[in-house]
Amino acid sequence: MPEPSLLNQLVDALRCLPGVGPKSAQRMAFHLLEQDREGGRHLASVLEAAMERIRRCKRCRTLSEQELCGLCAKPNRDDSLLCVIEHPSEIVAIEQATDFRGRYFVLGGRLSPLDGIGPEALGLDLLETQLQERKIEELILAISPTVEGSATSHFIAAMAARYQVRTTRIAHGVPLGGELEYVDGGTLAHAFAGRQGVEQS
Amino acid sequence: MASRSDQAARDHLQRCFVLHRRNFSNTSLILDIFSAIHGRQAVLAKGARQHRRGRPAGGEILQPFRPLWLSWSGRGEVKTLIRYEAAGPAAELPGKLLYCGFYLNELLVRLLRRGDAHENLFAFYAAALTALAAGEDVETVLRHFELRLLREIGYAVELDREAGSGRPVAPGRYYVYEQESGLRAAGTGDGRYALAGELLLGLAAGEPLSGPAAKTAKLLTRRLLAPYLGTRPLQSRELFRQHRNLSL
Repeated sequence: MPEPSLLNQLVDALRCLPGVGPKSAQRMAFHLLEQDREGGRHLASVLEAAMERIRRCKRCRTLSEQELCGLCAKPNRDDSLLCVIEHPSEIVAIEQATDFRGRYFVLGGRLSPLDGIGPEALGLDLLETQLQERKIEELILAISPTVEGSATSHFIAAMAARYQVRTTRIAHGVPLGGELEYVDGGTLAHAFAGRQGVEQS
Repeated sequence: MASRSDQAARDHLQRCFVLHRRNFSNTSLILDIFSAIHGRQAVLAKGARQHRRGRPAGGEILQPFRPLWLSWSGRGEVKTLIRYEAAGPAAELPGKLLYCGFYLNELLVRLLRRGDAHENLFAFYAAALTALAAGEDVETVLRHFELRLLREIGYAVELDREAGSGRPVAPGRYYVYEQESGLRAAGTGDGRYALAGELLLGLAAGEPLSGPAAKTAKLLTRRLLAPYLGTRPLQSRELFRQHRNLSL
């Protein structure tokens, strides 16, 4: 069988990107070849370097070029707070939206027995070592409230209990600006169970 | 015939549970569902993870352990979800009970063939989830579900009769379960594998289990299920084991 042409190989390779089907891949390939060779070369070299050099931070498992990521290397963060999240992108969201100044730990997914994702795949052994060796006062679980997320939270909470580390999870409830009428019943029940006092001064 | 049932599925919302969901492309989900009438089906929920102007698309109710009304269309192996509504609140399975829920789901995914109808089993499954959520004894719920599952998929095990002779199992006597044939009266040398008559009758009648009997029953159903599960270990069982190691 003859090898597919380089053009076809490029189109096929571009399809590994999320949301890129055959048509978009073809458009991208023609754009790079006909109008932006320089951009294409640049993309290729950066992509190559990134694939080669970016790996997981050995402390928090986020993506980083260094052994320790920028946040883990910062000395002025609060070592006694550890926030467990699913994906590296959530660090950015939490950093932008909250005044959390502790450390992070990135799981990279959730426990899902039916997909064969167990505790090792999420680096929970590394988390356990940290619970054991570092002086953590509060472990904050910022994990999606799906069924798999709850299983993950429960597993980590049991692990933290073993080392007497206080564990909290972020609140679940009605989104800001949301209308109660349209909130799903389960969420509403959670929001009701977790109600808080209102300041009455 | 097929086209008529297709049409029916399209028009009517069916009682279903999601057994498993996984992300598909940017905004969709592929669901492994268990329907009362159509059995296990693979269904594509297009756009169920899409947020429109910050508002969730509603796909968050497509979670395991939640009774749902679903309708779908299509003839291929993977159907397309048309409508979905919650048929009630999700079974509240805190902590370890959640692993039990995963276990039930994994058994169904592994043992049911796509498209085989199992109306009774659907009712048993819903009842098992309710019983777990209500705090009933976990071992009892799981063992009875396992036995019913075996019966529904055509591998019923007679626990109240000896194989061959057909003599009824009697309390106070001991028995051994042989994988190929079934129950036989225990002889000398069977000590380790012997099952008490009371336990077998209790299992056959769906009675609650307690103490050491629960442990023996667990080993028995594990042996009964093993030939149909194949060599791949059950992941939810593994998760259970790892969790137990944590609390040691």
